[in-house]
Amino acid sequence: MKVSFFITCLGDMFYVNAGKAAVELLERLGCEVDFPRAQTCCGQPAYNSGYRKETIEVAKHLIETFEHAEYVVGISGSCVYMIHEYTQLFEEGSDWQKRAIALKDKTYELTQFIVDVIGVDDVGASYQGVATYHTSCHMTRLLGVKEAPFRLLQNVKGLELVDLPNRHDCCGFGGTFSIKMSDISEQMVDEKVAHIEGTKAHLLLGADGSCLMNIGGRLSRNGSPVEVKHIAEILNSRGDV
Amino acid sequence: MPKGNIINRDRFLENIRAKIGGIASDKPVEKPTWSVTPQRNVLEGYDQDQLITVLKDQCDNIHTDFFQTNVNELSATIESIMNQYQSKTVVYSEDKRFEETNISDFLAQLDSFKWDRLDRESSIKFAERAEIGITFSDITLAESGTVVLLNDKGQGRSVSLLPANYIAIIPKSTIVKRMTQATDYIHQKVENDENIASCINFITGPSNSADIEMNLVVGVHGPIRAAYIVVDDI
Amino acid sequence: MPMHIGEKDFKKRVTKGIEDDFMRGAVRSAQGRLQDKRATAADELGDWEDWRTLGSEIRSHTIEHLDYYLNQLSEKVAELGGHVFFAETGEEANEYIQKIAKEKEAKKIAKSKSMVTEEISMNEALEEIGCEVIETDLGEYILQIDDHDPPSHIVAPALHKNKEQIRDVFNEKLGYLKTEKPEELALFAREKLREEFLSADLGITGCNFAVAESGSFALVTNEGNARMVSALPKTQITVMGMERIVPGWEELDVVVSLLTRAAVGQKLTSYITALTGPKQLEEADGPEEFHLVIVDNGRSKILGTEFQEALHCIRCAACINVCPVYRHVGGHAYGSIYPGPIGAVLSPLLSDYDEYKELPYASSLCGACTEVCPVKIPLHEQLIMHRRKMVEDEKRTTLSERVAMRGFEQLMNSASLYRTATKMAPFMSTPFARKQMITKGPGPLKHWTHARDFPKPENERFRDWFKNREKRGEQDAKR
Repeated sequence: MKVSFFITCLGDMFYVNAGKAAVELLERLGCEVDFPRAQTCCGQPAYNSGYRKETIEVAKHLIETFEHAEYVVGISGSCVYMIHEYTQLFEEGSDWQKRAIALKDKTYELTQFIVDVIGVDDVGASYQGVATYHTSCHMTRLLGVKEAPFRLLQNVKGLELVDLPNRHDCCGFGGTFSIKMSDISEQMVDEKVAHIEGTKAHLLLGADGSCLMNIGGRLSRNGSPVEVKHIAEILNSRGDV
Repeated sequence: MPKGNIINRDRFLENIRAKIGGIASDKPVEKPTWSVTPQRNVLEGYDQDQLITVLKDQCDNIHTDFFQTNVNELSATIESIMNQYQSKTVVYSEDKRFEETNISDFLAQLDSFKWDRLDRESSIKFAERAEIGITFSDITLAESGTVVLLNDKGQGRSVSLLPANYIAIIPKSTIVKRMTQATDYIHQKVENDENIASCINFITGPSNSADIEMNLVVGVHGPIRAAYIVVDDI
Repeated sequence: MPMHIGEKDFKKRVTKGIEDDFMRGAVRSAQGRLQDKRATAADELGDWEDWRTLGSEIRSHTIEHLDYYLNQLSEKVAELGGHVFFAETGEEANEYIQKIAKEKEAKKIAKSKSMVTEEISMNEALEEIGCEVIETDLGEYILQIDDHDPPSHIVAPALHKNKEQIRDVFNEKLGYLKTEKPEELALFAREKLREEFLSADLGITGCNFAVAESGSFALVTNEGNARMVSALPKTQITVMGMERIVPGWEELDVVVSLLTRAAVGQKLTSYITALTGPKQLEEADGPEEFHLVIVDNGRSKILGTEFQEALHCIRCAACINVCPVYRHVGGHAYGSIYPGPIGAVLSPLLSDYDEYKELPYASSLCGACTEVCPVKIPLHEQLIMHRRKMVEDEKRTTLSERVAMRGFEQLMNSASLYRTATKMAPFMSTPFARKQMITKGPGPLKHWTHARDFPKPENERFRDWFKNREKRGEQDAKR
């Protein structure tokens, strides 16, 4: 299978290790991975702020960038969902909408791709430790990927996965929300961090870099020992158990 | 009763019509065929006895005492509930089923009052001082544990409302699966241009409130305790 | 109470909410209970998604033919001898209600819970002409006694108060001497209010759903106050928002089943009371005279727009009960009697962006509201739509934001510009960084770093790694 990898803008700059792990993992599972270098951002910051015209331009750029791909696999549920939303941006039946639908139909979030397309539940990973998993809102509710990350994590040898209380609650990121409504966002991330620390896990996992950046930033500020990793890093881990 | 007034209607509806792009027409709007009808699948295939079990179990959730008896034992059952609720004064609705089951004879021996459709003052006054109200159920919904009272004429809205305790007598034949069957029945009457009761009460247990810290308090404005008696053979 | 409540400034209201530990504790536990109850009730049905689909279809159809169904409703009510008044504004509605109260020489008015009467400030209008209006819903009663504290939730209006506060209010205002036990508080209110019901000259109710085919009105309560209000006073007025209607009884069944489950996790509430016209001749109780007031008050502005689905709302508050923003700031922070996600959508529509421009942004767009809505209103998408309106039609966003977004578009639209910018980022951010974290960000980032660290961009971007790796031929070795 040929996979065109979608790193996302945050991933490109801040979560290089997650990207590396995802690429290695996909290759290990037999995929041929390429990286279309023209890719930028999915446009979500503009879209969620109501700047539709600007979003459309960014969307067109990404559609063109990935048009040649057999599959597009991204490492952020939220950004992948944004690509799926492109179909709403263009006029019904227009050429651009057709191209957006074509892109939507071949674009997946990493864990979704592994479980639903490759058809693998056990990627042969091993990692010694106690972790909890943050279910990100857009990936779970809007993209509808609920089970895949858990199915993959349950098969990681040595990993003890503990339930995160109130896992359905948003971490308070919300893109520009975290800046515009920073006082409310702070309360939300504080609550999330309290739940994470209450689990006694020493590792927080997630499939969305932006949520992890938010929660990780608060954990770091609190001087918490809880480590934060993208799920790809654990799924690509082959440590001794 | 003379027809009531309708004020400001034309301008108001014209404005709506302009917004939704409709046109004034005498033709009735046809309801679409809904793509799904899950309400019709609830308790599908349950027979009357299975429905009684559902009703009984639901009574636990709605803080309602459940009894099942036959016509011969009905008065005795009512008496024992009244003792349990320490209630002596009774108000009951005008409903020929009280006579048919001979409960009226039993109630006549007590400090009781049959709702009087022609006497508002005395009826409300007695209901307000009565310790227990008794009515028959017209339709009974197993799923939710609901008695439906078609309150018109002599039935009285206050009988099941003002006293602190309430007994609903449920003829077995009135039990249906859920609200769907009750609303079907009412809809049919409307279709046939028949009158429906001016007040149809769907009563599910005693009154309650969770307005204080979401703590359930049973008994706010309406009855504090409720009992259902399913009667096997009416 | 008008629609707008509390302090004018949004930020101040938010701060007040966040600092109110009592309120937040009460809201947190209430939300927890209500979420569990709703989820259990939905699971029990087994085919909740089908129910939602049906609810959504019914509401869409009804609103698309609202003129027809309102016409049918009014005809039926009039046939039964009831009077119908169509009010385009809150003022028109209030004038009519005042007129009826004067005609009946009503001194005391018992009222069951109704959001639309709050929205149009009906109580104040009646008090102006010397009437005493008594709220009979326990939650509303508590608020009324507490010097008209505004509601903070559309189903449980006093949700922000704990039982100790309620005990103190009862003590101070009504001489209550017992404990803070909810049972004792409720019993006290029962006795107080019973006298009021029996002596009220006029009863006023809201309306959960009107049924067009028979001219009926369904009132959904647990306490029984709506039954009292519609059984005892000789005159009854029912006030309804014009969208609170269904075609027939078949549809009433569905929306009521959705409402009680979504709102409080009950299969049905204790009382669903369906009233059809005034009492008939041979009936002892019930109103001799019945008036229906149908209120527009800004609703028709929403029809035919991209916000039309907001009128599908059945006021269950499920979206409020799952909203994490609501949990932290409380209902009063919204500055509207309609709080939470539906309030953030509806308030700017019923009023305007001048008053409620911040509300559409008071959401992380987590979609929890959309997921639970029993009639499938895409709430978070409607919030994005509001933001879009403010950008496109109203030009309300700041110049700096518009410039930034224009820049964003250009940056993201150009592969080379983007590559340059991301390459520079690690060096630009170095002055702010401590180890690998930025603890005091410049510009808008300072809001972020008030509570959180921000990662410093990596020196080697992913794209550089991938390119170098290709050069080294590593990926071939792996495969």
